[in-house]
Amino acid sequence: MPKIRFLLTDGAELAVEAQSGRTLMETALENSVPGIIAECNGSAACATCHVVLPENIMSALGPISEHENDMLDFAEAPREPGSRLSCQIKVSDALDNVSVRIPAA
Amino acid sequence: MSEAVKVVDDVAFEDLLANPYPVFKRVRDLGPVVKVEAANIMMVTRFDDIIAIERDPETFSSINPQSLLNTVIGPNLMRKDGDDHARERAAMDPSLRPGVVKRCWADPMRAICDDVISQIEHRGEAELFDELAAPIAARALADILGFDDVDWRTMALWSQSLIDGSGNYSHNPEIARKAREAANGVESAVDRMLPHHRDNPNPSMLSSMLQADPPQTVEQIYANIKVAIGGGLNETRDSILTLILGLLQNPDQLARVRAEPSLWGPAFEEAVRWISPIGMYPRRLTRDMEISGTLVRKGEQVGLCVGAANHDDRRFSDPEKFDIFREEKSHLAFGAGSHFCAGTWVSRALVSQIAVPTVFERLRNLRLKNPDHIRIRGWVFRGPTHMPVVWDA
Ligand code: HEM
Ligand code: FES
Repeated sequence: MPKIRFLLTDGAELAVEAQSGRTLMETALENSVPGIIAECNGSAACATCHVVLPENIMSALGPISEHENDMLDFAEAPREPGSRLSCQIKVSDALDNVSVRIPAA
Repeated sequence: MSEAVKVVDDVAFEDLLANPYPVFKRVRDLGPVVKVEAANIMMVTRFDDIIAIERDPETFSSINPQSLLNTVIGPNLMRKDGDDHARERAAMDPSLRPGVVKRCWADPMRAICDDVISQIEHRGEAELFDELAAPIAARALADILGFDDVDWRTMALWSQSLIDGSGNYSHNPEIARKAREAANGVESAVDRMLPHHRDNPNPSMLSSMLQADPPQTVEQIYANIKVAIGGGLNETRDSILTLILGLLQNPDQLARVRAEPSLWGPAFEEAVRWISPIGMYPRRLTRDMEISGTLVRKGEQVGLCVGAANHDDRRFSDPEKFDIFREEKSHLAFGAGSHFCAGTWVSRALVSQIAVPTVFERLRNLRLKNPDHIRIRGWVFRGPTHMPVVWDA
């Protein structure tokens, strides 16, 4: 089971065991990670599940859809190079031990 | 041991229409699921319960082929789930994404608002429901759908007739006839416009539906355009009026917003939390399920009262107050889950970035004509119904 390190807005870290195949958003909700609201429950419609990933793993996660790309520009916290909607990312070994930062609005 | 659903039988339907919030409060305090006889529905009114329900669409389904909505407008995305829903949703989203709204719709929406305000500006007096909010909402929607020959009054009539038809539980023949007429009107308008949009791909919803992979069938286009007309006009209109009302009743907050334009966003979210344009929508249980300890049976329908959840005092302090500075917490005015309002980003831009700021910019010293006689009505759909104002012309 990959281990995900959520970096919270107050600087604290919350490390959780994640199940491969679930989305990063679902993993965050199951572990009550503060700052992941996920109003639309994974439909890429609300942009309230914004996370920032290390840039060097972006390519391993596959391309960003046009829809997600558009949505990311309007998330409450400003977009960064490693920004993604966590509901559009499936947990895999590529995320093992990776720091997933919750950006401050 | 699970509890049985409690019943409230001493509320009149008129009480709900006049002001549902006291009823919502009573029901919320009574239990997680309460049958309100006057509305003939089991209400879910607590914020956390609605969130939990919307995270479990397999149990709390939107699928309901026998619903009045499907009878009136045909099988549509609001009453589908899973991949069937996602495909139809994806066919309209390219017209409604926030970036598309900014690039393609902001300028036309600004032109519409300027035009509507220019017609009343010199007068110093107007009734904002008919003379401002309804035409702005209807004309903006017509542009986004891709209708170029439908005037705003026709749009407004179609919208109201479709809404009334979908709520026509008493089978009133006149309401049913008007809804049929509106449905026919929408279908003819779609038929007139489709060749143009087929030949000229563009960001409008009709064009997006044709460009979708696979392209939407004509039946899907008819039905989902009707959803957008029934669900995208009154809510925008009502939220324009509600935001203006909240600010006029709270001049200190108005002054702060005008000095600090970044507050328009939070002010809009507060307006739709305060008086939510859609107060309730249904889900149907696919199996027996407890909602916070109360058992609801398979096949039953529950009404998710987002208007009530947005006044849940476990989450929002002094919920009946309009306060744009309240601690930022997400609300449910746009629903939640996979049916989260498709028009969220359009309405945020139109209402909070364009229409209402322009109103306060151009109608100087705007004030309510009769501050003591504000008419607000409805519970499934709620908003100000009449808003006479004056300003320094
Ligand atoms: C302030 C304005 C608005 C509010 C408060 C609002 C509210 C809502 C709510 C609560 C739902 C969920 C209904 C359900 O789950 O059964 C919804 C769905 C929907 N809304 Fe809005 N709405 C607004 C504006 C708009 C606009 C402008 C459009 C179109 C341009 C629109 C199009 C839709 C559509 C198509 C759906 C169905 C989505 C689906 O089933 O996936 N709405 N809206
Ligand atoms: S949960 Fe709404 S965009 Fe990811």
